[in-house]
Amino acid sequence: MSAFVNQKYKSLWIGVAGLVLLPLVFQGIGLTLDAATVVVILAMAAMGLNLLVGTTGLVSFGHSAWFGIGGYAAALAQLHWFPGQMWVPLLFSVAFTAALSLVVGFLILRRRGVYFSLLTLALCALTFAISFRWTSLTGGEGGLGGIERYTLGPLNLDDQLTYYAVVAVIGLAVLYVLLRVVRSPFGHVLVAIRENEQRATFQGYDINKYKLLAFVLSASVTALAGALLVFLHRLAAAESTTVGFSGELLAIVVIGGMRSFLGPALGSVFFLLFRELFSMYTDNWLLWFGLIFVGFIVFSPSGLTGIWAQLRRRFQHQPEDSAAMSKRKIYEGLPLPEFLRPARREGEVLQAQGISKHFGGIQAVREAQLTVEAGQIHALIGPNGAGKTTTFNLISGMFMPDAGKVRLNGQEIQHLPPDRICQKGLARSFQITNLFKGLSIYENLRLSLQARHAARFNFWRDIDSYPEIHAETAELMKFLGLQGMEEVGGGDLSYGGQRLVDLGLALGSKPQVLLMDEPLAGLAAAERERVSNLVKTIASNIPVLIVEHDIDRVLSLSHRVTVMNQGEVLMSGTPEEVRNDRRVQEIYTGTGTPPVTGRVAGHAGDRPLLLNFEKVNAFYGKSHILNDASLQVREGEIVALLGRNGAGKSTLLKTLVGLVKPASGQVEYAGRNIAGLSAPDIARLGLGYVPQGRGLFAGMTVAENLALGRLARPTDGSNGIVWNEEQILHYFPRLKERMHVAADYLSGGEQQMVAVARALSGNVKLLLLDEPFEGLAPTVVQELFTVFDLLRQHVSILIVEHNLDLVLALADRVYALERGAVFHEGPAEPLLTRLDYRKQILWL
Amino acid sequence: MEIVFLLEQVVNGLVLGGYYLLLALGLSLIFSVGGIVNLAHGAFYALGAYVSLEVIKYFGFGASIFITPLAVGLLGILFERYLLRRFYTADPILSLLVTFGLAMVGEQFIRMVWGAAPLASTMPPEFKGQLLVGDMMFSRYRLFILGVVAVVMCGIWLLLHKTSFGRVVRAGVQKPDMVAVLGIRLQPYMTAIVMLGVATAALGGVLFGPIAVVQPAMGTEIMTVAFVVVVIGGLGSFWGVVLAALLVGVVRGITIHFEPAAGEASMYVLMFLVLMFRPRGLLGERIERFE
Repeated sequence: MSAFVNQKYKSLWIGVAGLVLLPLVFQGIGLTLDAATVVVILAMAAMGLNLLVGTTGLVSFGHSAWFGIGGYAAALAQLHWFPGQMWVPLLFSVAFTAALSLVVGFLILRRRGVYFSLLTLALCALTFAISFRWTSLTGGEGGLGGIERYTLGPLNLDDQLTYYAVVAVIGLAVLYVLLRVVRSPFGHVLVAIRENEQRATFQGYDINKYKLLAFVLSASVTALAGALLVFLHRLAAAESTTVGFSGELLAIVVIGGMRSFLGPALGSVFFLLFRELFSMYTDNWLLWFGLIFVGFIVFSPSGLTGIWAQLRRRFQHQPEDSAAMSKRKIYEGLPLPEFLRPARREGEVLQAQGISKHFGGIQAVREAQLTVEAGQIHALIGPNGAGKTTTFNLISGMFMPDAGKVRLNGQEIQHLPPDRICQKGLARSFQITNLFKGLSIYENLRLSLQARHAARFNFWRDIDSYPEIHAETAELMKFLGLQGMEEVGGGDLSYGGQRLVDLGLALGSKPQVLLMDEPLAGLAAAERERVSNLVKTIASNIPVLIVEHDIDRVLSLSHRVTVMNQGEVLMSGTPEEVRNDRRVQEIYTGTGTPPVTGRVAGHAGDRPLLLNFEKVNAFYGKSHILNDASLQVREGEIVALLGRNGAGKSTLLKTLVGLVKPASGQVEYAGRNIAGLSAPDIARLGLGYVPQGRGLFAGMTVAENLALGRLARPTDGSNGIVWNEEQILHYFPRLKERMHVAADYLSGGEQQMVAVARALSGNVKLLLLDEPFEGLAPTVVQELFTVFDLLRQHVSILIVEHNLDLVLALADRVYALERGAVFHEGPAEPLLTRLDYRKQILWL
Repeated sequence: MEIVFLLEQVVNGLVLGGYYLLLALGLSLIFSVGGIVNLAHGAFYALGAYVSLEVIKYFGFGASIFITPLAVGLLGILFERYLLRRFYTADPILSLLVTFGLAMVGEQFIRMVWGAAPLASTMPPEFKGQLLVGDMMFSRYRLFILGVVAVVMCGIWLLLHKTSFGRVVRAGVQKPDMVAVLGIRLQPYMTAIVMLGVATAALGGVLFGPIAVVQPAMGTEIMTVAFVVVVIGGLGSFWGVVLAALLVGVVRGITIHFEPAAGEASMYVLMFLVLMFRPRGLLGERIERFE
């Protein structure tokens, strides 16, 4: 870290050099000293804006409002309350703006993203309207004149050079203040908010406070700049408050470089030079400047400093991921660092009781309860739709339960926001990687540890003056096996590395209890081993609650298991009890008794091959979901795709249909290679798809939904079968009266019928069904079952369904998927009729 | 007498609201399909006013109502194809910045071609004068505008709800993946909707040229109002935008009557109030990407 020492204040020295050289260069090229002063003032305003835009990620389109308010406040102060003075009005204007921005910020920061930006735009327009029209206060169009500069001790500020020097000194002071803020714990949290606001909240930061302070600071700095400009021109005018000027400030920030500290200063030099030099040739210099602005956003959003950094990277070698990985030192079997061990507790640490939640009309979780005791690894398992993820989210504060209580060491936490829950001692990791991707691993972990430190809101002291946080970060990295990779960016890591950092973020919150959401998902075997060992080591000090689909691994890992099904807790017991419990086995592998009457599977061995899906690999982000998956479907047969959640079944269908691009492998359909084609093209070749949840369009009637099915696909039956309206009603007579009812108001079964009918409204040769029987009443299930059975003669069907009794009765052959690869393939009949064989293959 | 005058103000407010509605609708359309808040919308409005002045010279006002939106709409196609499309899946902040930059460029471009001074736009003689309705007096031209806006609004509603095109657009807004697996390519529809949005903005410029001040900054001025309407009504809500436009028009109209200088400020106050109590607008939907 010693390289930092020179780095730290580099910006300051560059600033000094720049401020000294600026007037010399300007006068050398024929520009006035006043122009140099304007550059410094604009740089100040832009750097103030950048604290909000670049550092915190909040785009303000209305910063000219603060510029103008600062200017008018200073002018009014001098004219009415402090005549003959300059410094008091200056101070007044900053104080006034700080107070005003506190109130305004409190109001408008409640809205995020686009709404916040639009609100700043409105604020700017409002300020302009007031400046322009409230003539008695602001002088209206003419502005407020008669502002004087006076003196500072022996210095006559009316002299151009003297004023420049004074402004430069103030500018340097502002630079210093901003530098300290950016280097402080507070400043680092702002960056975390920009990178991943949600994660920052879950790490225990009350982000609203941070945003508000950043807002006030930003507004105050810009206001100071505005006041200095008023003293320069000896006039406060409405031009400073226009939206146009806001745009210029924003352009300065973007062109200079949002992500660099001095970028905005560079941008203001560029702006002024551009203006002065181009306005000699053309009146329309702002047009060209605007085009450059747009050009930067389209081609190089990181601005001039970004281009500079890219050039540097070409000539210097940056640590690449593989090179960085080679510096990695992995220590196996380390104990949990001392500072992460909570005070030893016995008995219950986390207790959830009577937790219920409904979304819309659906009861997702009903009266769930579970208890995590000290020293325990507690697993929460259940099939798809069981409600375990929702329960997990309810306990960890992502949603508030409708009813029930969650107690952490006796204290109720169910009504608290996520940052408070984290501060109380509950930390969670995320299933879908949720890091600060733009920051280094070191910074990611340091931010988490910092949140539990008293100095987390300090905006003045340098983070390097907290050696204890640095020491803890180093030890945590060593524990996780990431030592040596400090500088690697979160987004550059392999998937396994990202999962480790995610775990590290949760650990860094020094929790009393750790919640882990599918920690093993998508990991390769070796990584799964390492993470499991880490979890065991952690659990000897911190109790852990895990939600996981990988049942084998989690049963061997945990001390206690809770099983959920259909939103309720089924049972809670030791892993052995759960493994042998018949009810649990039933919800995963079925009872052996088909709930429908109907057919017996047939053979399609001699029929032509329709689909050859071979060694396909597919990714979701960096997560490797399909692993050399292969299957085949012949004409006229029904093939079932089985496997537990997370096995990759839905992803396989989506890859087939073109919604996910295969990374490698072959997909041959009816003799054509369709891998890599777009989804509409694949659909037109005769693949019909009924997704999980049916995918009906809300606000449209049955007829309208069906019409969309007919719109873009061939309907002549030349490559497959197609149902016209008559046939739809023949198979699903129930829909006759429902033709003009909005899809939202149909029952589940009717919706499923519409979804199937819509898929078959265009030529279809291969029909893909994802969980078609989910949530349907038995009579409807029977109806659909019969229809699919009848369809077999005309169309091949590939069906994903977790109700094994049902799907094994329907299918001819099955493929079973686990971790993205097929581990079993064969006829459906033996699995249907012999329950022990079924359990042998499909249960643990 | 007072009540009659007040009623007149309300109706004038509705006209004003219709004015904003035209622009706000186009904005809302573009947002619905692309998820992008088009800060350059005002530039198309201004362009509509200026191009209309040229078209009127050769073809008259009546023709301009049809030709100008079409011409500017074609520009909208280029806008979508070469600029907007790059930002559908990008960080929303970048799309805001780029359209904002384009608005700047648009204003400067107009300044370059037509000059900075306001241009005179004359009202077509057929619409000059007042119309007496009971005890109330209304400007004929403003009633005409109200009529056109009503027609356009109905047209857009019919397009979205009663045609196949509209169905695809609405489906694509909800579930673009599902639309794709039904064999429908969504991109041409999005281009068409952007073109429609831009054309309605240009139509606004044509209609309001005769009664507004035609100068390069007119785009920026109308934009802030249009955004107030869209934010009050809720991004992506058709009826919310209609309601909000009328509300803003009436509030502004009445405020101007009593305290002219506060007219502009009144709608911002209204917006802040609505946002404090109904954050997603009067009838707005929750759009997660933008939170």
